[in-house]
Amino acid sequence: MRALVLALRDLRLEWRGRAGLLSAFSFIAVVLFIMGIAFGPDEANLRRAGPGVLWVALAFAGSMLASRAWALEVENETLDDLLLTPGSREWIYVGKLLFLWILMLVMGAFLLVLVAAWFYLPLAAWPQLFVTLLLGGTGYTVIAAFYAGLTVRLRARDVLLYLLVFPMILPVVLAAVKATLGIAFGAEFAEIVSWWKLLGVFDVIYLTLCVLLFPGVIEG
Amino acid sequence: MPAPLVELENVWKRFGRQWVLRELSLTVTEGEVVALLGPNGVGKTTLLRVIATLIRPQRGAVRLFGKPARALETERGWIGLVANPPAFYRHLSGEENLEQALALSGKPIARERALAVMEQVGLPAGRAVAAYSSGMRKRLALARTLLAGPRLLLLDEPETALDRGGREELVRVIRQVAEGGAVVLATHDHGFAETVATRQVEMQGAGA
Repeated sequence: MRALVLALRDLRLEWRGRAGLLSAFSFIAVVLFIMGIAFGPDEANLRRAGPGVLWVALAFAGSMLASRAWALEVENETLDDLLLTPGSREWIYVGKLLFLWILMLVMGAFLLVLVAAWFYLPLAAWPQLFVTLLLGGTGYTVIAAFYAGLTVRLRARDVLLYLLVFPMILPVVLAAVKATLGIAFGAEFAEIVSWWKLLGVFDVIYLTLCVLLFPGVIEG
Repeated sequence: MPAPLVELENVWKRFGRQWVLRELSLTVTEGEVVALLGPNGVGKTTLLRVIATLIRPQRGAVRLFGKPARALETERGWIGLVANPPAFYRHLSGEENLEQALALSGKPIARERALAVMEQVGLPAGRAVAAYSSGMRKRLALARTLLAGPRLLLLDEPETALDRGGREELVRVIRQVAEGGAVVLATHDHGFAETVATRQVEMQGAGA
């Protein structure tokens, strides 16, 4: 319950400040524009590149948002207040994770539409694309929210976050790209499902580990 | 004899190579208001943060409410810390900050209650904290303390930026908390310490 209160409060703060969302959406727009120009007008090229572009843009923009989730506490100097709340501290992580997860899904949906328009991603297969986004986005946010919390007190946190997160999320990004490629090129449903299963396993393992490790990590 | 709420025994804390606290021992019992005095950089704020369990000393033992600091869970909700300046979410209004702080501490309150306490400490409703002056932030911190009802209140230079009315309210809140708990405050103002404290601790270089 407290995790939900925290997530909703962060959403309200982000909505009023809009600093993180604006940066992430602008970043996505710029990446898509540059990639779109770089791959040229050839439909086959664009179709092949689309899934990679989608997940690379989402991963980088997601790191920006993950950093933002904790920056709200740094900017307002309110991290101590969170740490002084009674009980175990897993809920702080879950609250930040929920906040980031909601933003990632909104951003992912927006990105799917843009990539579909420019890179010929078949929006007719939207339920499958959405499941991939859900599973891949969850794996990504679980890791990003954890490492953003780990580095929140460090001065070089923005640089460190990318260095720590990207090696860890490689399996998630690869599986998500493969599933999206399968959807784009009409692969057999069983093949797509196998990638979803892999993503589901990553999600469960990462989530369990991060929830267990977080209280020790956030202690000063 | 009243129960000790804070027990620090031979505490050492350093940042990098610089020792800030050295061989520091302090016991605070129920009903006490302890004023930490001393020049800038002597470790008053660090000591408050050690007591609040926000930083861990390199050596020594910290016990709060009769338990080792690391073992605290529910008891952490009994600690109230007012930093200097007090921390609030700038994009939220005063009453929203109060509601959020209490809800996250597991003590949700109604909007009416938050507004009533804000009125009590002389704050207007509906204004974002970003538009608050330093004194208003201090008053909002008092309102939060009144609502949370901590057993152990830690205040870092609480009297600064407050006008006479604000100081009177502050003294009232400190005495109210001390009735059923204890207060530790860091200050440079000897006059304020004389007024409010039951004990004064003069800190010197690297410790008390």
